[in-house]
Amino acid sequence: MADAVTLDSVCKSFGALQAVQNFSLRIPTGITYGLLGPNGAGKTTLIRLIVGLLRADSGRVSVMGRPMPDKDMLAHIGYMTQTPAIYSDLTVRENVAFFGTMAGGVSPARVNEVIALVGLSDRADSLGRTLSGGMRQRTSLACALVHQPRLLLLDEPTVGVDPQLRVQFWDYFRQLNAQGVTIIVSSHVMDEAERCDRLGFIRQGQLIAEGTGADLLAQAGARTLEEAFLTFAGATQERPLQEKMPA
Amino acid sequence: MNRKRVITLAGRVIRQTLRDRRTVVLFLIGPLIIVSLTALLLRSEGRPAPLGIVNQDEGATVLLFGQVRLADRIVAAMSEGDALVPVPLPADEAEAALRAGRVRGVVTFPPDFSASFAGERRVRLQLTLEGSNPLQATAVLSALMQTGMRALAGLASGSAGGELPLSVDVTYLYGGPEYDLLDYLAPPYLVLIVFFFVFLLTTVTFLRERSQGTVERLMATPVTRLEIVTGYMLGFLAFALADAALLLGFTVTVIGLHYAGNLFDMLVIESLLVMVAVNLGIFLSTFARNEFQVLQFIPLVILPMVLLSGLLFPVEDLPGLFQPLAYLLPLTHASDALRAIMIRGQGLAEVGVQIVALLLTGMIMLALAAVTVRREVA
Ligand SMILES: Nc1ncnc2c1ncn2[C@@H]1O[C@H](COP(=O)(O)OP(=O)(O)OP(=O)(O)O)[C@@H](O)[C@H]1O
Ligand SMILES: [Mg+2]
Repeated sequence: MADAVTLDSVCKSFGALQAVQNFSLRIPTGITYGLLGPNGAGKTTLIRLIVGLLRADSGRVSVMGRPMPDKDMLAHIGYMTQTPAIYSDLTVRENVAFFGTMAGGVSPARVNEVIALVGLSDRADSLGRTLSGGMRQRTSLACALVHQPRLLLLDEPTVGVDPQLRVQFWDYFRQLNAQGVTIIVSSHVMDEAERCDRLGFIRQGQLIAEGTGADLLAQAGARTLEEAFLTFAGATQERPLQEKMPA
Repeated sequence: MNRKRVITLAGRVIRQTLRDRRTVVLFLIGPLIIVSLTALLLRSEGRPAPLGIVNQDEGATVLLFGQVRLADRIVAAMSEGDALVPVPLPADEAEAALRAGRVRGVVTFPPDFSASFAGERRVRLQLTLEGSNPLQATAVLSALMQTGMRALAGLASGSAGGELPLSVDVTYLYGGPEYDLLDYLAPPYLVLIVFFFVFLLTTVTFLRERSQGTVERLMATPVTRLEIVTGYMLGFLAFALADAALLLGFTVTVIGLHYAGNLFDMLVIESLLVMVAVNLGIFLSTFARNEFQVLQFIPLVILPMVLLSGLLFPVEDLPGLFQPLAYLLPLTHASDALRAIMIRGQGLAEVGVQIVALLLTGMIMLALAAVTVRREVA
């Protein structure tokens, strides 16, 4: 089957800062892929390049075989931003229905279904600004899911979400994978990384290692993914203190 | 009170403000620009008003003076004075000239003008005024009286009963003596209020949309920029039209505004203006990082419109170099059009020029807005 996402020597700079450098990666369809790296590594930039919100300075980005940016592809892509982007003057239900319509139209039943999925049924008619941080995060996830996208990009989706709900989310992501949906998750939480089918370690805009969790552990001769990351990071360059990742 | 803390707080406020270059520049330069502009407009001498002359006077023989044509003396006095510029017109073209705005009024001297002066020592002038601007009407009337009296001064010494030798019958093309300043100012006010609120509403709403990340999120859906801009326009149009209709209804019924036009025509003009205001708001929101910077657009964008669009000073009376500027502003055309509709009871066909001007401005603004909605939000 064709790859869900292909990145081919992609570069992106913001002024003098090289946020993504010569980045090549293939993500097969129907898996959950984890992008891992410290703050400022370039995870969000990479995700925005895949969605087509940013245009690569050089190299090629394609989604399901189509070069990005491509407006038509966006109907099949769900994007959850790192900080929840929802309207504070609309209710949860109105937010989800709005983004559903923007993505091409969804039924009211589908809106209720995703709201139930993120556990907000009892708050469906609350205004965005009256929600807790985690609830906003969940609303934002519902907005990304509502139009049943084939590719789901989630930028740190479970930050601020309580552990119980987090487990439910991952169960649901698994179900989506089974339906052929590809999920790309960015994270710097290692126990989340263990749930991904494949992982990409990113540091200073570069892919420093890539493979299944087991591959990476074996290659680095490490016992935990955190150890493995630090081994790969140390191999490319001496590791400054602030790049140490939170466990 | 801890002095160190207070001083540190003050220092922070200063540093923060200085870091916002634009605010500093505007804070220092802005008031200077506003004051000079206002002074320039207030100081500028009123231009002489063009006055149409229909001269049918056949002349008469006046005691001691022989054969005179009194009308010629009055017209000559006008040319000498600096308030009026006489424009000779054939009788059948007078009204057209007045309608087209080439003259502010038309004086008609009847064939027996001099003769009746020779007989009764008194004359009546007939003045037709355009009538939509009561200030201009009063100015023309008093200038005419003064000039006429000056011209007759030498002749009328023997006038009977201490009555003034000159009286003027005034007729109005539009409006009339019962139209006051409010009637004249209402159209531009309606325009300004709607423009101002729609502009502010859009700028702040769009700014919020940018800062809460929903523009970025919208850009990750198949929505096009044109769709976003059009959606915004329709949304605010609903408010603006409700606002305009309510305001008009209120002024007509409660305040007693005279209103001669068609409500639908008026709402068409308001809609065009909303199109300009929404797109200008979206465009300018790109240049504002916060609500405070939106406030700075008020003196920058709204004030020139207030000063130059015929709200306070009629555009024809602006100093020459401001006139082309005034016609670049959408508000000028919108208030011209609304005046034509509300006071003169004209229809959309008669304000075609203004409609085209508004449409053009609207299109340019729409293009600017669509470009600045930007896919790449940096
Ligand atoms: N719009 C922008 N303008 C300038 N620099 C930017 C912009 N967006 C990102 N950067 C820079 O690019 C680099 C990568 O940022 P990015 O947001 O991709 O990191 P990240 O891996 O998502 O970090 P985090 O874990 O903190 O979310 C950072 O150094 C950041 O400062
Ligand atoms: Mg990020």
